[in-house]
Amino acid sequence: MEALGINGSFLLVQIVNLIIVYVVVSKWIVGPIISMLEKRRETIAQGIEDARVASDARANAEKEAEKIVAEAQAKASQVVREATERATAAAADVKAAAAAEASKAREKALAGVEEERSRILGDLRGQVAALSIAATQKLVGEALDEKRQHTLIAEFFTGVKAGKIVVLEDAKLSGEDAEITSALPLTSSEQESAKKEVLGKTGAQAVTFKVDPSILGGLVIKVGDKVVDGSVSGKLDGLRSNLR
Amino acid sequence: MDANAAKLIGAGLAMIGAIGAGAGIGIVASGAVQAMGRNPDATGTIQTNMILGIAFAEAVAIYCLVVALLILFVF
Amino acid sequence: MTETPKQKVWGRWVVLAAFVLGLFLFTGFFGIGLAIPVVMPAVVLPTEPLTAPISTPFGEFFLSGTLVALLFADLVIIAIAIGISSAVKKGKLILTGIIGGVEALLEMLHGMTEGTAGKWTKQIFPWFATITLIVMIANWTEMLPGVETIGKLVKEEGGHYAVQAVGPFLNVVEPAEGEHGGYHLFPYVRVVSTDLNFTVALALVAVVMIQYFGVKSQGANYFSKFWATGTLFSKPIFGVIDFGVGLLEIVSEFSKVLSFAFRLFGNIFAGSVLLFVIGSLVPVFAQSIFYLLEFFVGAIQAFVFGLLAMTFMAQATQGHGGEHHEEAHA
Repeated sequence: MEALGINGSFLLVQIVNLIIVYVVVSKWIVGPIISMLEKRRETIAQGIEDARVASDARANAEKEAEKIVAEAQAKASQVVREATERATAAAADVKAAAAAEASKAREKALAGVEEERSRILGDLRGQVAALSIAATQKLVGEALDEKRQHTLIAEFFTGVKAGKIVVLEDAKLSGEDAEITSALPLTSSEQESAKKEVLGKTGAQAVTFKVDPSILGGLVIKVGDKVVDGSVSGKLDGLRSNLR
Repeated sequence: MDANAAKLIGAGLAMIGAIGAGAGIGIVASGAVQAMGRNPDATGTIQTNMILGIAFAEAVAIYCLVVALLILFVF
Repeated sequence: MTETPKQKVWGRWVVLAAFVLGLFLFTGFFGIGLAIPVVMPAVVLPTEPLTAPISTPFGEFFLSGTLVALLFADLVIIAIAIGISSAVKKGKLILTGIIGGVEALLEMLHGMTEGTAGKWTKQIFPWFATITLIVMIANWTEMLPGVETIGKLVKEEGGHYAVQAVGPFLNVVEPAEGEHGGYHLFPYVRVVSTDLNFTVALALVAVVMIQYFGVKSQGANYFSKFWATGTLFSKPIFGVIDFGVGLLEIVSEFSKVLSFAFRLFGNIFAGSVLLFVIGSLVPVFAQSIFYLLEFFVGAIQAFVFGLLAMTFMAQATQGHGGEHHEEAHA
């Protein structure tokens, strides 16, 4: 022991010193550090808790915001839809109104045109007749008196002879609606008689009159789905096919 | 042979025991490195235990050294 | 790590200056050096007296270099304690500087103690911290310049050195010519871990505390580990074996003291001898590398001492079954 340097007094001093150091370390180093670790752990836990709360709040806020945005979007889309519907309805109204207006205007215009055309053709009729008579007089030499000529020409153009419609003599027609097409407008008395004739012969309910200069003369009468062609152009066609 | 020569020879012989400690430390370190290679996540624990094992193995060499020192300087 | 480049340059110059100074002092470099001979110090196990011995009932007492080092370590620990307690009292949560390092070390040790000792952490951890801190600081005093090399010259028969005077208060030793020079060198500061009194005292306290924790946790039951007569008559053969194991446990408790004491002493003493040898062989620079090694060894030994004490204490609180007789081998 002596050779190793182990010595009772030194050993005692060292042990006492060690106990003092133990007291110092446990009281002023370990104690504060443990309390600090504890505090730090608490702080960290608090911080984590705070962060969790904050993140919860944020998540809530996000959800809220999402809800608000969704509501706003729904409202906006509804508004848009309503507006679109209203606009569509308004546009349809406007269109319909415009269409009605347009059709009315067109009808009016058509009617005006028809009337004008009829009037012009009616005016022409006298002149054409006069011209024809003059021409024929030159050709055949005043064989016919003027009144007779007028009647003949009127018959030619209208196919109405002494109040009777020539083409209806031996045609059997029946139907609801009748349409009479002439090369020149008929006078109102002619129309009356033709109407009476057609109505009486065919049992039709209503008669409409049309003017079509391309048939040259005579009448084309259409009752129901049948047509009686008493027109000059139809006769010329028949003649042309016979000659061929 | 005088006493001094015998002391020197004895101290040298005493240190032969360090062979075992050296081999032991090598085995400990190799095992620890393999373990760390297999499981790098456990490096901290393995290191602590490796140092403990090395300390135990080294203690043998230290005993040899102490004996050698005693022979040389004390007796 | 946070050094600015300027500081790095400064440190480099210091290293270079120390290198040149070493060359100048210890070698005859180009004929301009002082060529002071570097002596391999005499290796002495017992600590050397600095004052005249006083007789006490327990043995002679005198101021020795190791006691100076011990006082130094105590002062450092007290300084750390003051720093930490005042910093914590101020409510700091993060410590900086040296006490920050101490705090980090202790936090790590605390984690290990919690993993091993469980609910006894609060009682065991202060011992772990105390042992680790005091041993670490004691070991690291070896790093200070002048420790174990500057000392009192005492003229005595059988001394190892002759003396060369350099100045009025400064002498350097040189190797003695013959078998007997005239002088002993008694260092003013000698690393306390190279004094067996310190390590044995630590080991004794640690082992006594191991028994204390065993008794405190298990009461008288704890001693059944050593005097295992419980199964002696019920199971004749195994009972006898158990009884023998119990006796071995007693032996292992004493061997714990020896292994604790000699592991620390041997490591540090061998380290300082190694430094002596290297320093006397290559006076310049080579020692620095071994200083690094000793720094590491000192920390490891302190850690191992504390860790073993803590582990044994935790085992003592846990009772039978867990012992693997590591202490018998250690």
